[in-house]
Amino acid sequence: MNGRHLNRRQVSRRDVLRLGVAGAGTLAAAWATAGCTRAVGAPADAMQFWQMYAPAPQQDPNIVAQSQWFLDGIRRWAAAGERPVDMVYIPAYTDPTNTRLATAFASGDGPDIFLISPGDFLRYYNGGVLTDLTPYMSQEAIDDFYPDALATRTVDGRIYGLPMEQEPLAIFYDIPAFEEAGLAEGDLPTTWEEMLELGRRLTGGPRTGLVLDTTPSYYQNFTFYPWVWQGGGDVVDPRAQRPTFDSDAAVQALAMYGDAVGSGAAARTLPAGGDLVGAFTNGYAAMWQTGVWQVEAMRQNAPDHPYGVFRLPAPPGGEPVTALGGWAWVVNSRGRDPESAARFAVEVMGSTSKESVDAAARWNGVAKGNMPARRSVTEAIGNSGAFENPVMQRFRDEILPTGRGEPRYPPVIYKAVSNAIQNVMLAGADALVEAEAAQSAIESYMETYEGGPLV
Amino acid sequence: MSAVTVSRTAGRARAGTAGGNASVGKAAQERRQRRAAFWFLLPDSLGLLVFVAVPMVLAVVLGFFRIDGFGSFQFIGVGNYVRMAGDPQFWSSVRITLLYLVGVVPAIFVVGLGLALLVQQKIPFVGAIRSMLFVPYVISLVVVAMVWEFMLGDRTGVLSRVAASLGFENVSFLGEPSLALGTVVVVTVWFQMGYYMVIFLAGLQDIPGEYYEAARIDGAGAWQRFRAITLPLLRPTSFFVIITATVSVITGGLDLVFVLTGGGPAGSTTLLIFYIYEQAFLFGELGYAAAIGSVLVLVMLAWSALMFAVTRGGRFDND
Amino acid sequence: MTDTLTGTPPRDDAAAPAPPRPVCTRRTDRRWTRSKVALLVLGIVLGLLTIFPLLWMVSGSFKTAAEVNSATLLPSAPTLDNYRYVFTEVPFLRYMLNSFFISATITVLALWFHSMAAYALARLKFRGRDTIFLLIFSTLLVSLPVILIPTFVVVRALGLVDSYAGLIVPAIFNAFGIFLLRQFYVSLPAELEEAALVDGASYWRIYRSVILPLSKPILSALAVFFFLANWNAFVWPLTITSDPDLRVVQLGIATFQQQYVGDWNYVLAAATVAALPTLLIFFFFQRQIVESIKNAGFK
Repeated sequence: MNGRHLNRRQVSRRDVLRLGVAGAGTLAAAWATAGCTRAVGAPADAMQFWQMYAPAPQQDPNIVAQSQWFLDGIRRWAAAGERPVDMVYIPAYTDPTNTRLATAFASGDGPDIFLISPGDFLRYYNGGVLTDLTPYMSQEAIDDFYPDALATRTVDGRIYGLPMEQEPLAIFYDIPAFEEAGLAEGDLPTTWEEMLELGRRLTGGPRTGLVLDTTPSYYQNFTFYPWVWQGGGDVVDPRAQRPTFDSDAAVQALAMYGDAVGSGAAARTLPAGGDLVGAFTNGYAAMWQTGVWQVEAMRQNAPDHPYGVFRLPAPPGGEPVTALGGWAWVVNSRGRDPESAARFAVEVMGSTSKESVDAAARWNGVAKGNMPARRSVTEAIGNSGAFENPVMQRFRDEILPTGRGEPRYPPVIYKAVSNAIQNVMLAGADALVEAEAAQSAIESYMETYEGGPLV
Repeated sequence: MSAVTVSRTAGRARAGTAGGNASVGKAAQERRQRRAAFWFLLPDSLGLLVFVAVPMVLAVVLGFFRIDGFGSFQFIGVGNYVRMAGDPQFWSSVRITLLYLVGVVPAIFVVGLGLALLVQQKIPFVGAIRSMLFVPYVISLVVVAMVWEFMLGDRTGVLSRVAASLGFENVSFLGEPSLALGTVVVVTVWFQMGYYMVIFLAGLQDIPGEYYEAARIDGAGAWQRFRAITLPLLRPTSFFVIITATVSVITGGLDLVFVLTGGGPAGSTTLLIFYIYEQAFLFGELGYAAAIGSVLVLVMLAWSALMFAVTRGGRFDND
Repeated sequence: MTDTLTGTPPRDDAAAPAPPRPVCTRRTDRRWTRSKVALLVLGIVLGLLTIFPLLWMVSGSFKTAAEVNSATLLPSAPTLDNYRYVFTEVPFLRYMLNSFFISATITVLALWFHSMAAYALARLKFRGRDTIFLLIFSTLLVSLPVILIPTFVVVRALGLVDSYAGLIVPAIFNAFGIFLLRQFYVSLPAELEEAALVDGASYWRIYRSVILPLSKPILSALAVFFFLANWNAFVWPLTITSDPDLRVVQLGIATFQQQYVGDWNYVLAAATVAALPTLLIFFFFQRQIVESIKNAGFK
């Protein structure tokens, strides 16, 4: 009797196991085909637009204005009888550790339209999920974009992303800190040497003289590239598609980072938890390499605090160059209706219609307050709205023209460069050794790399 | 649903037993126990199967593929494992995880037990003191990390200023590769000690007070009593604490590291779980991340099996 | 391993109980002995040191946006605006209610299922018990980042994305609770059920009227842990929901961080508010734990 029971139980246990395996198999199959079956949805399904602006979860007027801008856009679109678009606000969307988008795409469940940062562009392009927007755009509209804004969203002359803005880097400085040290506008540094010298001089007590970004991230690399470009170097030569990170220009940029921290001119961590406004108003930092978005942050949180900006200083014989960040609209080629989504994106962001230009002018000139990606928009704004501010005009007139789009290097290259920066800057490693190590890592990666060009 | 089925079985079982104790053989009782066990175990087993085991099996399978994160699966056999073996950053993250483990687990054990012994005493306001010691565990890790950032900030943070007043000028707790991991260890212990204090407290309450009284009458000192009574009788709890602390140290620490250091400076706080997360969600290397994750689970399985063997199933029945 | 178990030196200060006293005075002693004062002072000092970092959280919640990132402890011009903002300009109460509902449901179901499973594993004899226990235990070693994407696929296949069920059901199943409860049940004396069994009680009846009441202290402790873990959950809710009506507290806090500008003053006010319920629950339950241990009579 016992034996019979044992037998039955063993069988049932095996059955359970089999059931489990079958279940896992079905799931795996469902997953593998998810990408294909995905487009078969009810035709009336609204398309989803994932981003970090709308609908705003807060009632702060600035945040509401940005949210409203998007909501107006989808309302106009739906009113024209087109397939409606739903705005989906994703918390912590810009946080690189956000799991939402990666998980959605990995399981074939990506949104129809989403915002993308330059660092991520190539991964999504190489994954085959970005829709070519060129067929929906007029040549006139394409020419309206600044070449540097489009370059990193273009592959083989086809446009896969429409930038909403250009965000150049510069150095922000705290005027009270300069005045305390008896410095005036004429003392602003124009060379690396002057910058480090001034950084050392302004460091003392709670104050850090010069802030260069310190946390390993795509953002830190973004802030580092212009120092390489200034000396004529590059991580990857865009024309030859060959790595050139062991060039003198790259080595000297790395060495400058090492010097900055080693000599005490720059900090090892960001003052005030990375908040420029808090750092300036509390006297924790004197100079800070950061982007145009800080102008809005200062206006909102410390409108009366005096500060200024200047171009990134250059090495001897170098050119003034800066990097341009900014997010772009892209369309998922495996979405519900890529064609409608592409027309929607182009109509709002990339058309020469008065509506599109006005909308962009409201975004860059009023709601968000940053550099337009299109000439017509720059003209439409003129010196109105956010550009009444002389700092914004300086960004537009002096700094933006020296800009180059943030590179779209894939993860392996990002990581190789990031390791070199970190090791030289914070662990006192030798710049040449680290540059060569990164160079060889990039070389071996590029031997087997297939995908969009690295620019 | 399970409630209904369970009580129905239970009812049937009860009726069967009521039939006559004398006739109930050993085999029948065993069958009854087995049937009861099945229903008692069903909800959790099913849930763990669907939401942990099946995903884990999928993850192991993924480990044999190259995956771009956009639906392309390419079978590469043990390619990811070969890559792992030759990946210096993987090995560096293993080394850092071990250091972190060696730093955190003993500290948590000592501090958790010490605090439990303290708040077990009959002293006034002990409830308030317990609550204070537990508070860090209540706060979300992101906010915890941010608060420590204030205190540890170069030049301005209160701890940096204390260090400066002790003659250590310009100490950078989070910006020096040699200090950052230690700092993360301290914050981890601070954050988790309240949890382990409560666990130890529960364990201590299980020790009969008479043992201590007897020992006291025999003239045993505090230290002797601790050695002879507290530690041996606390072994099941200690086992639990060491297992769970190890698991939580190896699989946790992610949010803290993300906010405090981002894995830096110079990679000095890139824990293995951080590396997995980075590969999966930042780089889209889902297959590689799954392979590392599988190895991690395997290693912990082996380690737990060892613990079980050494402690005879974590039971310490002493019989 | 065993060395670590037993060889860890205790902290001298905390481990030294009062010097020997006459046994009869032990329970009724209300005098302020010297050692008691020393322990009290030690406890208060350690407690204050522990909560010291959190003073920044609380004080920061009274600071303005420009001041919140300063390293000074006290706000120069304390303001209640952050709290007002959190409650009036953000549906924060809704987030709290969501989190409360989700965490409470998970806690209740998890305690129920886990105590059942642990009871079977600890006190019923059946073949394969150790294997099942080891299998369940091994799920403890799997962490969310490793299986996040496969779990998402499973949950999506079950149609639970963007629903309360998707937030609740996968979070119930966790081997920690089963493990801790099993350890506890194993330590209970064998005579407990014997009387009931002789009386012909079913296992379900024993579980309900003998085991569950005895589990009160440990269930209270676990309730606190489960509630807390789910109250502070971030990654899973982020991954499977986008409906703002389902937004939980930690996601709500994250919405204060914009791309470059974190409204840290709001974040800290929200975090302080979010910490209060869990703190109160701990304060309440720790009394419960102590009380039920006394009442259970197996001390």
